[in-house]
Amino acid sequence: MQKPALLKIVDQFGVNKSMRLEKRVFTIGRRPENDLVLLSSGVSRDHGAIVYDDDRYYLVDKGSKSGLYVNGQPITRCELHHLDKIAVGGHDDCQIEFIEESSSVIFSSSESLNLSQIESTPGISANEELQRLARYVEINQAFKFSLTPDDVLCLIVDAAIEMAKAERGCLLLKNEAGQLEFKIARDSKRNLLSGADFQMSQTVVAETFKENRTVVVTDCLEDNQGARQSVYNLNLRSIVCVPLRHFRMNETTGATSILKHDTIGVLYVDSRLTRGTFSKSSLTLLESLAFEASKSLESVRLMQEEQGKKRLEHEFATAREVQVALLPTSFVQPAHFEVAAHSIPCRYVGGDFYDLLTLEDGRSALLLGDVSGKGISAALLASMAQGIIQALFDSQLSLSALLTSLNRVLVRKSDSNRFITLFCALIDPDGTFTFANAGHNPAILVRADRKTELLSTGSMLLGAFEDVKYQTQQTKLGPGDVVVTFSDGVTEAVNAANQMFGDMRLEQLVKDSIGLSAKEIKDRIEQEVLTFTRGLPQGDDITLIALKMRDVDPFAATLAPSLMPRG
Amino acid sequence: MEINLRTSGTVTILDLKGNLTIGTEEELNRVITQVVTDGQKYVLVNMAEVPFIDSSGIGGLIKSFGRVKGEGGKLKLLNPTHTARQLLSITGLLSVFETFDDEATALSSF
Repeated sequence: MQKPALLKIVDQFGVNKSMRLEKRVFTIGRRPENDLVLLSSGVSRDHGAIVYDDDRYYLVDKGSKSGLYVNGQPITRCELHHLDKIAVGGHDDCQIEFIEESSSVIFSSSESLNLSQIESTPGISANEELQRLARYVEINQAFKFSLTPDDVLCLIVDAAIEMAKAERGCLLLKNEAGQLEFKIARDSKRNLLSGADFQMSQTVVAETFKENRTVVVTDCLEDNQGARQSVYNLNLRSIVCVPLRHFRMNETTGATSILKHDTIGVLYVDSRLTRGTFSKSSLTLLESLAFEASKSLESVRLMQEEQGKKRLEHEFATAREVQVALLPTSFVQPAHFEVAAHSIPCRYVGGDFYDLLTLEDGRSALLLGDVSGKGISAALLASMAQGIIQALFDSQLSLSALLTSLNRVLVRKSDSNRFITLFCALIDPDGTFTFANAGHNPAILVRADRKTELLSTGSMLLGAFEDVKYQTQQTKLGPGDVVVTFSDGVTEAVNAANQMFGDMRLEQLVKDSIGLSAKEIKDRIEQEVLTFTRGLPQGDDITLIALKMRDVDPFAATLAPSLMPRG
Repeated sequence: MEINLRTSGTVTILDLKGNLTIGTEEELNRVITQVVTDGQKYVLVNMAEVPFIDSSGIGGLIKSFGRVKGEGGKLKLLNPTHTARQLLSITGLLSVFETFDDEATALSSF
């Protein structure tokens, strides 16, 4: 038997309550499972405990953020003596006093609380009403804290039990099938009760749920209604069952509205011991609590949804970072041409890819591809293709052998309705431009004198059919010549009038930009496309590469034939 | 995407109506699977009323072609619109898909 002691508590609303220390470890914190639940932002979830050991009481900090204080001094572990004043978290909106009942003086004369009140007999006094009201206010504040969903459920049931002065209570919520599902049951000592053992009047619960109204059954033994037979069988006396209603926040005005005909669950409390305990005021409070509870449950649901979304968004953002790193925006500019490239995915990640590689023999390889479909699956295949192409270039295959190999790998590795269109080219230091076009939009070549050629070899797209031969073509680029290669997101961009940007517009734009640098050309096209589709969601990935041959240094040109290897 | 089936001799004709784009290509694949399962080997896809095809639509055609060919059959195209023909040309698929402008000629080619 423990040495009798109690805590006398005056909470932030000025309401007195006292709790006997009857357990070896009496816990204090914000979590509903604690023996003393304090709902204040400075209180940790598991803040501290009063431990009974060797006939003494000790106050112990459980690693709280804001600490524990005894008579104004911070402590981590300290023996408690009669009339010690405990502060949780250093602020004193809640006063706690440790009382040893064996002590000759229990309360000083100035105290307003007396023992008869602590052990008060059932019956509604004005003070009790006040305490319940304060408890209600306290609960509503608690709902504002970010608690876990289970915490909120515990809190609701505990509060309902406390307000109704009931013995036990439970909460049932509607599941996706529209059926009521048992969530949690608690007793007045804050113990969890198992659902299997929790006998309740199903008729009362069903009536509350179906009719969407509070059902009160008092003194059931005298109630002869057949419909409530189960109540009789359970030998219960008093039941209150309150509906939880769907609650929706109108975000634009901040106003709140309840859709009255949608019940999301019920809150059920009952008592076996006392008769007629549910006063009119406690019913009103319970209904208000149910209203607040519905709001909290909705907030919790939204919070979980939000967290799920955030996690996913984080994943996508990471994927995008990886992809951006794979698609370079700045290149080591070769001596004989300048190049600029950019891709704007229409989702987080895109199915377009491009690269500029400098090969060991001094040539440069340029590539731009487009994987069919969109989003993550397309992006994965794009990254794979980009890697394979780089590896194949390293193995010094000819362009057509390279495409044949790539096609074979893609046919075997990718889904049968996925494919890749690709434009790729090798640029020799002397301006020889060898290209292959595997089912991709023709690249636009505009000569310095504004003559335009479309670079298409009419070869099959990649990944669809095995054993396809790929053609290459060669042309010679001179100073000031420009090649623009792009994905169909550029030419198929649609404006508000449902017109496409189109090949002609793009060709004209490149022609008109022939005097600009590679970067200026790329920027101008990108800007024109975005202006064209202004205000409309992007329909496809937009990718562009602009390449411009530099003016050849006459000195370098004369040396070129002997110094530079041919491919 | 609306797909109507008719038969002429041993050939199953699919009359497509609507854009063949992302999402709708699955409908084409579903119908083709059904046709192949029913033991039909010769398929003519009428594209006269397909104003637009995107890359997923192309994917759907390639997959359908593969399904039919895999069963030892043939899939040919009838009357692709200008836009569709252009896309088939760019992607190099005209070399694979036999394409006809006239139904009678198409049917007699199987």
